Amino acid sequence: MNIRLILKLAAIAGVMTAISLWVGQLAYTWMPVPASEEALLVDHLFSFLTTLGTFIFLGVAGTLLYSVLFQRAAKYDEGDGPPIEGNLTLEIVWTAIPLVLVIWIAGYSYRIYDEMNILGPMEHMHGGAAIAAPLTLAQSTDAPEAPEAPEAIEVHARQWVWEFYYPAADVTSTELHLPNHRRAKLTLTSEDVLHGFYVPAFRVKQDVIPGRSIDFEFTPIREGTYRLRDSQYSGTYFAAMQANVVVESSADYQQWLTDVAALSPQPGLNPSYDEYQVKVENRDNRPGWKTVEPAPYPLVNYSGASVLPER
Amino acid sequence: MSSVNLDQSLNSTATVHAADHHDEGEHRLFGFIVFLLSESVIFLSFFVGYIVYKTSATDWLPAGVEGLEVREPFINTIVLVSSSFVIYIAERYLHKENLWGFRAFWLLTMAMGSFFLYGQAVEWMGLDFSFTDGLFGGTFYLLTGFHGLHVLTGVLLQGVMLGRSFIPGNYDDGEVGVAATSLFWHFVDVIWIILFILIYVWQ
Amino acid sequence: MTEISIEALSPNREQPVPGEPENWPRFFSFSTDHKVIGIQYIVVAFVFFLIGGFLAMIIRGELITPEADLVDRTVYNALFTMHGTIMLFMWTFPVLNGLANYLVPLQIGARDMAFPRLNAVAFWMVPVFGVILMASFLVPGGPSQSGWWAYPPVSLQNPTGNLINGQFLWILAVALSGISSIMGAVNIVTTIIRMRAPGMTFFKMPVFCWAVMAAQTIQLFGLPALTAGAVMLLFDLSVGTSFFDPATGGDPVLYQHFFWFYSHPAVYVIILPVFGVFSELFPVYARKPLFGYKFVAVSSFVITGLSAIVWVHHMFASGTPGWMRMLFMASTMLISVPTGVKIFAWVATIWGGKIKLGTPMLFALGGLVNFLFAGITGIMLAAVPFDIHVNNTYFVVGHFHYVIYGAAVMGIYAAIYHWFPKMTGRMYYEGLGKLHFVLTFVGVNLNFLPMHPAGLMGMPRRVASYDPEFAYWNVLASLGGFLLGVSTLPFLLNMISSWILGEKAPANPWRAIGLEWLVSSPPPHENFAVIPTVVSEPYGYGKNEPLIASPMASTELTSELS
Repeated sequence: MNIRLILKLAAIAGVMTAISLWVGQLAYTWMPVPASEEALLVDHLFSFLTTLGTFIFLGVAGTLLYSVLFQRAAKYDEGDGPPIEGNLTLEIVWTAIPLVLVIWIAGYSYRIYDEMNILGPMEHMHGGAAIAAPLTLAQSTDAPEAPEAPEAIEVHARQWVWEFYYPAADVTSTELHLPNHRRAKLTLTSEDVLHGFYVPAFRVKQDVIPGRSIDFEFTPIREGTYRLRDSQYSGTYFAAMQANVVVESSADYQQWLTDVAALSPQPGLNPSYDEYQVKVENRDNRPGWKTVEPAPYPLVNYSGASVLPER
Repeated sequence: MSSVNLDQSLNSTATVHAADHHDEGEHRLFGFIVFLLSESVIFLSFFVGYIVYKTSATDWLPAGVEGLEVREPFINTIVLVSSSFVIYIAERYLHKENLWGFRAFWLLTMAMGSFFLYGQAVEWMGLDFSFTDGLFGGTFYLLTGFHGLHVLTGVLLQGVMLGRSFIPGNYDDGEVGVAATSLFWHFVDVIWIILFILIYVWQ
Repeated sequence: MTEISIEALSPNREQPVPGEPENWPRFFSFSTDHKVIGIQYIVVAFVFFLIGGFLAMIIRGELITPEADLVDRTVYNALFTMHGTIMLFMWTFPVLNGLANYLVPLQIGARDMAFPRLNAVAFWMVPVFGVILMASFLVPGGPSQSGWWAYPPVSLQNPTGNLINGQFLWILAVALSGISSIMGAVNIVTTIIRMRAPGMTFFKMPVFCWAVMAAQTIQLFGLPALTAGAVMLLFDLSVGTSFFDPATGGDPVLYQHFFWFYSHPAVYVIILPVFGVFSELFPVYARKPLFGYKFVAVSSFVITGLSAIVWVHHMFASGTPGWMRMLFMASTMLISVPTGVKIFAWVATIWGGKIKLGTPMLFALGGLVNFLFAGITGIMLAAVPFDIHVNNTYFVVGHFHYVIYGAAVMGIYAAIYHWFPKMTGRMYYEGLGKLHFVLTFVGVNLNFLPMHPAGLMGMPRRVASYDPEFAYWNVLASLGGFLLGVSTLPFLLNMISSWILGEKAPANPWRAIGLEWLVSSPPPHENFAVIPTVVSEPYGYGKNEPLIASPMASTELTSELS
């Protein structure tokens, strides 16, 4: 092969690599601030995939662009191009390389998922064996947290409000509080339809399935207030089924539990119900169809804020 | 190729049409087989559902139900499976152009199919659970009902073929209708055997 | 028998053939001619595309602001449900059936499909179930509001308590659509397997036919699983059985398995014929053979096979155990290999050719680039840890709209433009075509690219309202959406005015190689006076070899094509 051609291709590949790596770094900024151990892992994976994807996109689209710009038929040229029908070597190569790439990506993703280790058993609620066993291969490498038991919290989903119960302190709330740097173990249940427990800042999601009790774990690493959203379409007020997630230091968390335990139960947050009242009282003048009635305000010790605090 | 000369094109298409007729029959049988393969997937899906429910349900049988009576369904099974041999014999008679032999065994097949349906209806009426009685009730009636619908369709198709056998010149272009109906019947049979094993044997 | 193609020698047809192309009322009749049925499918499907698009305009209108302030939430939920349902069952499936119907018999050298009357019946079911679906807007309680997936228990909730409700009509319409599709699949598969012209072995058959056969095979073996799930859902909804209702012992996740076992392969039913279109068009507009024709042809069936074992990737965040998620991650990633083979083959086909950027080529190129992007985000989605974060967010919505609108719809437009002269006997207006392309390409990217960052930041899909942090991306997306709405106008104008007033088209305006280009535009009643005998592989550009056997015809063909 022509030396000049090889050098040119190498230079192009070099530029593509540089751009891809740069975009891979940019990818971190497209995600919310990582607020959990799992988020760090997922963001690394995403950056890797973006780098690879950018390289492939530049390569293929670049080739096409070159072709479309510089290989056009001359104005009155009605002739055919060269009758090249194939090249077995090339065809094998471009089948084998993607295969290898895909195995690499799958392997990396498998290791990350295993490390995240978020999904616990999913038991049918009325006794009976668990229908799914968790992946019990290599344990998480987060040695420091291992000895401490995860903080167990129950999450009850219903159309269309999240309710949280902290069994250790016998406290309920409509705002999720979590201790920083401590593994949280949530037990997800739904009283009616499918819901989805999703906190973008933690990069974790699990559908909540009526008739099952699902154990779900992750580890927050950054204090702040984040958003919990219903991610599995659950009916009329699905979009309004959100709650705040407050990650605070262990000490503050314990203090909050103690303070709140002393409060007598009051109606918790339920924006869906508020909206429904407007509709029922016909105050919004917009035609609509009959809907399932939202659950009323849950009685909780602590209701929390309905929107994220201003940044 | 473009048709320039209209007369030419009409002439040539006429001669091609006669040859096309025989091919058409073969196409029909092929198409019907393709359809049966597709139809089998719907039963397969129901079977998978049944297996998943049975192996994972916490309360499988409805309250008060001990299980299914196997004796009568077993007799029904013998009748239905035998009818596959009977319909095969009928086809052989037709192939040898013995129309009355064909009609006799064809009618016998219809009778056996109807006996099966009657037996199914009797069983249904004697059961102490309904379609809405949990997963067991739902899957039982869904599977046997869907199958029964196919048996009924098979018997009706056989009736149509029987009627057509009286039309002179009906078999000039081959016996595709009879072949397809017979194939359908065998299909219904095989499905029943699997169903019987899943629902009655595996209890 | 000599087969002299007069049309090729004198491009302007003076005399219309009596009773044929100018006989427009036949498009409104129960015709059994595959060419008429093909056009009927395409036109009816396009009407539903416009309806589904109109719903999308309202959706984007709602989403341009964070609050649910344009329409009531129940209305919004009905809108996105019906948008998805209409676009899939009333637009993409029928329009591709129409293209297949029109082209397959011509491309394989047959006079019609194997079962012309079944063909007509399958088509006429389309307006019927279309009307049933639209009628759901008029029943108490409104249309289905459970999304096009109709997941229970939401789909079983039935607030009005009526037997005939929107969900019921939805299930009925989808079931009828399934029956129509299976009829079509039986027809097409039988036709391709049994009615190819003499000499046309499978490896002399155009890739479009390979792709269509692969797609229809999926319909045959995948649809019944959806039917089974739909039947069980219908019984739960109307009669009170417990298949999927957890309150009475049912399993809602099993429904998801039934649903996706078909609906994942279904997306390949949509994209495979479009791949076939790309494979047909790039050789013509680059004047080069399709690179790696055999690999490309076979890859269609590899995709069909693999498509059956990837469905759980729609359920990575659902009630699925870890081992299942890993298994299906592997199979999903694997399917990118035969898909990549096609993409590279197309690039190699174009490379070094003599490229002409007519409207069909522009749409095909745009479709290819959009598909490349969508394929890359698709591999990202296959990675379970990443999917856990973006599942059910706008990242996924962006991904699949890049595939469906960016690649499939643009491919469908490319096909319509490319075969418009053949179908109507008229040339379309190139200027309007190019305008249509620019509006569409810009619109697609403006509408769907911003959905990716919105999803990455955590905006869920199917929401009538969202937190203000997502407003910026939604404004961009809505502007793109409105642009897409506008982009249909030059297309409609072009199609209607060209069909009525366009310049008469010769048999082979693109000097393409293929059996359909050997007959007049539009083709005569039974396509071929004499069924040709095929002697060479397709896409023989630059090779000067005859496509069909005939000592006289080869000189005519070569003089026509070189």
